Amino acid sequence: MDEEPERAKRWEGEFERTWELLVEDESGSLKPSVEDILFKAKRKRVIESQGQIRLGMMRHMYIVLDASRTMEDQDLKPNRLTSTLKLLEFFVEEYFDQNPISQLGIIATKNKRAEKLTDLAGNPKKHIEALKRAVDTTCSGEPSLYNSLSLAMQNLKHMPGHTSREVLVIFSSLTTCDPANIYDLIKTLKSTKIRVSIIGLSAEVRVCTVLARETGGTYHVILDESHFKELLMYHVKPPPASSSSECSLIRMGFPQHTLVSISDQDSKPSFSMAHLDSTVGPGLTLGGYYCPQCKAKYSELPVECKVCGLTLVSAPHLARSFHHLFPLDAFKEIPLEEHQGERFCEGCQGDLKEQNVYICPSCESVFCMECDLFIHDTLHCCPSCVHSQP
Amino acid sequence: MASDDELSLLLIVVDVNPLWWGRKAQEEPEFSLSKCIDAIMVLGNSHLVMNRNNRLAVIASHCQESHFLYPSKHWKGGDFASDENSAGSRDGKFELLTVANDLIVQEIKHLTARTQVRGQQTDTLLAGSLAKALCYIHRVTKQLEAGQEMKSRILVIKAAEDCASQYMNFMNVIFAAQKQGVLIDACVLDAESGLLQQACDITGGLYLKIPQTTSLGQYLLWVFLPDPDQRSQLVLPPPVHVDYRAACFCHRNLIEIGYVCSVCLSIFCNFSPICTTCETAFKIALPPVLKAKKKKPKLGT
Repeated sequence: MDEEPERAKRWEGEFERTWELLVEDESGSLKPSVEDILFKAKRKRVIESQGQIRLGMMRHMYIVLDASRTMEDQDLKPNRLTSTLKLLEFFVEEYFDQNPISQLGIIATKNKRAEKLTDLAGNPKKHIEALKRAVDTTCSGEPSLYNSLSLAMQNLKHMPGHTSREVLVIFSSLTTCDPANIYDLIKTLKSTKIRVSIIGLSAEVRVCTVLARETGGTYHVILDESHFKELLMYHVKPPPASSSSECSLIRMGFPQHTLVSISDQDSKPSFSMAHLDSTVGPGLTLGGYYCPQCKAKYSELPVECKVCGLTLVSAPHLARSFHHLFPLDAFKEIPLEEHQGERFCEGCQGDLKEQNVYICPSCESVFCMECDLFIHDTLHCCPSCVHSQP
Repeated sequence: MASDDELSLLLIVVDVNPLWWGRKAQEEPEFSLSKCIDAIMVLGNSHLVMNRNNRLAVIASHCQESHFLYPSKHWKGGDFASDENSAGSRDGKFELLTVANDLIVQEIKHLTARTQVRGQQTDTLLAGSLAKALCYIHRVTKQLEAGQEMKSRILVIKAAEDCASQYMNFMNVIFAAQKQGVLIDACVLDAESGLLQQACDITGGLYLKIPQTTSLGQYLLWVFLPDPDQRSQLVLPPPVHVDYRAACFCHRNLIEIGYVCSVCLSIFCNFSPICTTCETAFKIALPPVLKAKKKKPKLGT
């Protein structure tokens, strides 16, 4: 079972003097060195993500939320559960922003049972509402890793082969109460190609290490709230596709948005299919998206048509994922003194004041640090390279 | 009404494609680039006058480069007295407006004089100008003092036609603008632009194709001057119907149902065993093949 050598534990390593990293500047403020550390972390994320590897764009992910007694601990303010739910809301928004054709589901586990908070769906609103409602739940009992993973597996098993099946577990307890041998479940997860990643809130637990290692996921334990956020953001990007995932052509529909006004003679109000299973009463609306195959109406995209099963998306949804396919190269970092040209940032037209300037490798234009971060995080295209297109 | 701590930044991106303007000058001599710049200056001045805290920026989008007309890098702000071009305001106008107008005129003259159209580069680099605009907005937002909020919007005045090769960069810019909460409005002078229609729809801005180019100033003041908060109370031109259908990669037809490759997300109208973009072979689900029953050989006697 235990073929890999374990990593050396922190207390076995050298004595680290972490307080020496923070240096005061002339006015006695620590802000520049704190910003420097945050900036280096962001740069690391950009540099690590280079390379031409095939990514799994269509993702089906389950989030397993631990709602056991340990979530009432107040080491994350105001308590672990509230803080986790807040960060998960942010995660859900970013996830659907970066992976518009993917789906997400939420499972909560407490009292040795697991229950589904939301089904696998592509609409962020439902998940955010469920997370907001979950703030009032009482945390009690023990979590059950086996039950929540088998519940997730039952749903993910039936997903088509070309999608990536993932589970993200937020685990705060140090124990788990399982009805059967979890190592058998780990074998089954591995055979159904489900990748389980875990974020621990308390301490490293051995079964989680094995679970992550066997299924190909990652396991990290948080240090504080900002580290928690960073670990969550790490899972927003599409993971490298495993070699066994099948590539196939997926049949999709691109419906037109019909906008009709009340004064139009031919317009008839109709029900939207999205209200079939929602608790809000059915509403008659005039315009919407009509499925090209069965003409069922929906108010928002992307959605899977309940009548005929066709996935409905719009072209911008696919366009949102393009920047993963053509990632922007990291810019070269050189100190300000070595730069011969004008002290002028091409992006924001400001003067270059910081210590380092960043140069795009293809068009040799110079950018300041803020523009570099903005370009890599949000913009995904170099403003000057666009100008030099033939 | 906007409070004192809220500032509104209007960024105008003007398309100064020399080929289109040259052709237009022959067809319609009464509407020239200088009239267009006049109308833009009127809009810019009005915006600055609406609120003490408002800010303005103007970018000219050319075939080879995008240039900031205002604020220009040759002018360090706040230096009214020692500016040799305008010794104070000549007609009693607010100093800032005079400086802004003079700068815009000066910079556009320099830009048109010095750039020459080379080779096949005849398309306006709109995506690049928008990218620079977003970087500028990002910097200004970072430099705000604590407690100040800024709402920004970009107004694109488009003259020439769309350039299809800029599609991907354009979409990246649109999504970045949507994330930053920046509205993109579009005022189109000549040909309808599908890209700008999508941009306005996704970011929540206004799209308008002007019927009469000579009354550009009027349309700018009527439609594009009010802040986004006040737009719900005005009767503005209705939203256009945006065609979000995708075009298939093989024939460039607009399709309603298509096949999407799961690796590279390219769209095809017909099923094919190999994706032409990323060259992955697809698995085709075949019906199970039944083996023919083996006949037992007759034992010969």
